[in-house]
Amino acid sequence: MRPLHHQKGYREASRIDRIKRMGEPLLSIRDVVKRYRDTVALDGVSFDVEAGELFGLLGPNGAGKTTLLSIVSCLLEATSGEARILGQPATPRDRNLRRSIGIVPQELAVYGELNARENLNFFGSLYGIQGEELHQRVDQVLGAIGLADRANDRVDRFSGGMKRRLNLGAALIHRPKLLLLDEPTTGVDPQSRNHIFEEVRRLAADGVGVVYTSHYIEEVQALCSRVGIIDHGRLIACDTLPALLARMGGVIRFRVPDETPGLRQRLGEIPGVELNGQEGTTLEMECRDVKSALMRLIALLNEMKVELVSLETNEPNLERVFLHLTGHALRD
Amino acid sequence: MLTWALAKKDLRLLLRDPRAVVVLLAMPLIFILVLGVSLGEGFGQKPDDRLRVSIVDLDTGFPNPKADEGDEPLHWSKTVQRDLAQTAGIRVEVIPELEEAEALVANGKRAAVLVFGPKFSEQVTRSSFMLGGVNPLFRDGVDLEKLDAYVLRDPTQLTAASIIEQVGQVTMLRVVLPWMIGSAFGTIAERMGPLATVLQQMFPNYDLTGTTWAALTRAAERSNDGAEVAVFEGQAEAGWLSRGAQRYQILVPSYTVMFAYFLVLTVGWLFVAERRQGTLKRLRAAPLSRPQILMGKLLPCFLLSVGQGLFLLIAGRLVFGMSWGSEPWWLVPVVLCTSLSAMGLALLVAAMARTEAQVAIYGTLLVLVLAGLSGCLMGDRELMPENMQQLSLITPHAWALVAYKQLLANPADPNVFLVLQSCAVLAGFGLVFILLAWSLLRLDDTT
Repeated sequence: MRPLHHQKGYREASRIDRIKRMGEPLLSIRDVVKRYRDTVALDGVSFDVEAGELFGLLGPNGAGKTTLLSIVSCLLEATSGEARILGQPATPRDRNLRRSIGIVPQELAVYGELNARENLNFFGSLYGIQGEELHQRVDQVLGAIGLADRANDRVDRFSGGMKRRLNLGAALIHRPKLLLLDEPTTGVDPQSRNHIFEEVRRLAADGVGVVYTSHYIEEVQALCSRVGIIDHGRLIACDTLPALLARMGGVIRFRVPDETPGLRQRLGEIPGVELNGQEGTTLEMECRDVKSALMRLIALLNEMKVELVSLETNEPNLERVFLHLTGHALRD
Repeated sequence: MLTWALAKKDLRLLLRDPRAVVVLLAMPLIFILVLGVSLGEGFGQKPDDRLRVSIVDLDTGFPNPKADEGDEPLHWSKTVQRDLAQTAGIRVEVIPELEEAEALVANGKRAAVLVFGPKFSEQVTRSSFMLGGVNPLFRDGVDLEKLDAYVLRDPTQLTAASIIEQVGQVTMLRVVLPWMIGSAFGTIAERMGPLATVLQQMFPNYDLTGTTWAALTRAAERSNDGAEVAVFEGQAEAGWLSRGAQRYQILVPSYTVMFAYFLVLTVGWLFVAERRQGTLKRLRAAPLSRPQILMGKLLPCFLLSVGQGLFLLIAGRLVFGMSWGSEPWWLVPVVLCTSLSAMGLALLVAAMARTEAQVAIYGTLLVLVLAGLSGCLMGDRELMPENMQQLSLITPHAWALVAYKQLLANPADPNVFLVLQSCAVLAGFGLVFILLAWSLLRLDDTT
């Protein structure tokens, strides 16, 4: 069976939507604030997501990601500011707008006592889809999430990964234009994770805007073209992945056998390199371009006839960006 | 349509939940079964303080010597029964078989049984003061043996047996004596007409030709109102379940009502699970309004509850031989209104409980307290003191029991006004519970 987003009707609908919007972002969030009594859950968050874009939202537990997704999915009213989807304000009162949104909650929001087909039938019927159309869509989604052969099995007999895939499928049955995924791969096996990634990429390729929240940095890095970092309710960075990574240099850490007079001075003369510190005979330097700095380092050590005992390089990555921006690791 | 989609899903979940089947269907049947088997025959019957006079009627009747040809034969035993039944403070029980009566007396279940032999009518008819007639009168009243009648006595209950025998003697005198006087005077009138006229003038307060006590004493005949001759109901053919016993007319509705409110647990668990597993968030994210979500939740609960009520009443009839009374269709509004109030209470608990443990603890406590207060738990509200019976009316259960009692325990003449009143109160309870739940229920628990 062809994946859902290769279906002709689906692609055309997405394309028409893009034309209709004429450059307006699919999702626009402006200065959104959410307060619960004395607690500020969101503090002036702003960003846009375009149709077909994979936007990653990174943040530790309690950072405000789920609250933000609840506002975007019309479940919660912002205290101030505004979220707009397809140009319409996203408020709990606008039930029609919800037809454009698909949410994949953090929880396995499917019914264990029902089988996969019954689950999809039910969630489809909530959007007014019925009869042959519902039957076809359910078959399409089951194929897309790789559960066609388990369609009539009770969900509580599924593995965690299969349940996660069904959790995604339940959000796709009504063909949303904006897909909100809240930690969609928690506790899944690599095979199911890849399946979910593939499907999310296909959706984006077909024009669906995707907001992907996770505290797995490697997932966001592998999947998303643009990333927002949220901490304590504030969006502290929001940029394309290369731009975020460019904020951080790489690190080269090496050890030499003995103290070598003049080595620190010569290392400091390498362009684009900053010496961080020294512990015994281990030195660490931060550099914008790890590869070129590494070649110069090796050339210098040869020239000074200094033996290299060990060497470790760290390319810039989101984890270090996050640490740099927030002062703590994501899973602290 | 969206509401129905939601309702259909919940019905499916409920029907696949073994806990629901056990709590709502199996448990009440088990309760009824256990109590039905273990309770005595008197449970569920009105306490009857009247003296029970048991009789065995083997009388074959005798042709009426005064009647025209073709008239019905005399059945003096029936006359005696009627006279007994019309006597204040007495109830007559007819035991069909002599052997059964002997067994009941031998087992101490009856103190005395009055037996009319096959020739009772013949002997009474022949009783006369005149020459050639049978004279049954003697020092103690009526000599029963001369009338082919006798009393079976339990030697361990002689006092009770004597009282019953004396009651029988008085009745016999009231029946036999006027017959003898009337017959004798008739003969006198035939043979010595003027003498009869003189005698009648000497006793102006009596009709000496009357053959009944009322006619003899020129009193009005008693009406048959209140005369009650019950047929003894043996237990042997009802089996170990005692199918058809009166107690099931009380037990089945009591436990049907009590377990209707166990819906609180089933619905509470359903709601909490919906919250816990995140599907409530999906429902809220769908284009459904809050009323649609609530209606989608209420409808399956209501249907389940109605199904439960009807199932238990049908099982009561098929398994326990319960009667649906003379107005079985009135049971339907009672089931519907009980379900409405149970559904409202279930929604109220679901609105307040946050976890499955809370549902189990608070729900069970609430259901049992209400069942105890209303009288459901003990099976029969009549067992409660009068003031507690009044207090119990603060529970919907009690109103449901009032309605069921009218229809099932008072089948001959149910008070339809009481049934309607109970249904209205139950519906009122349901609406109040739903309104409270509506104001308390938080669907937006997103944090």
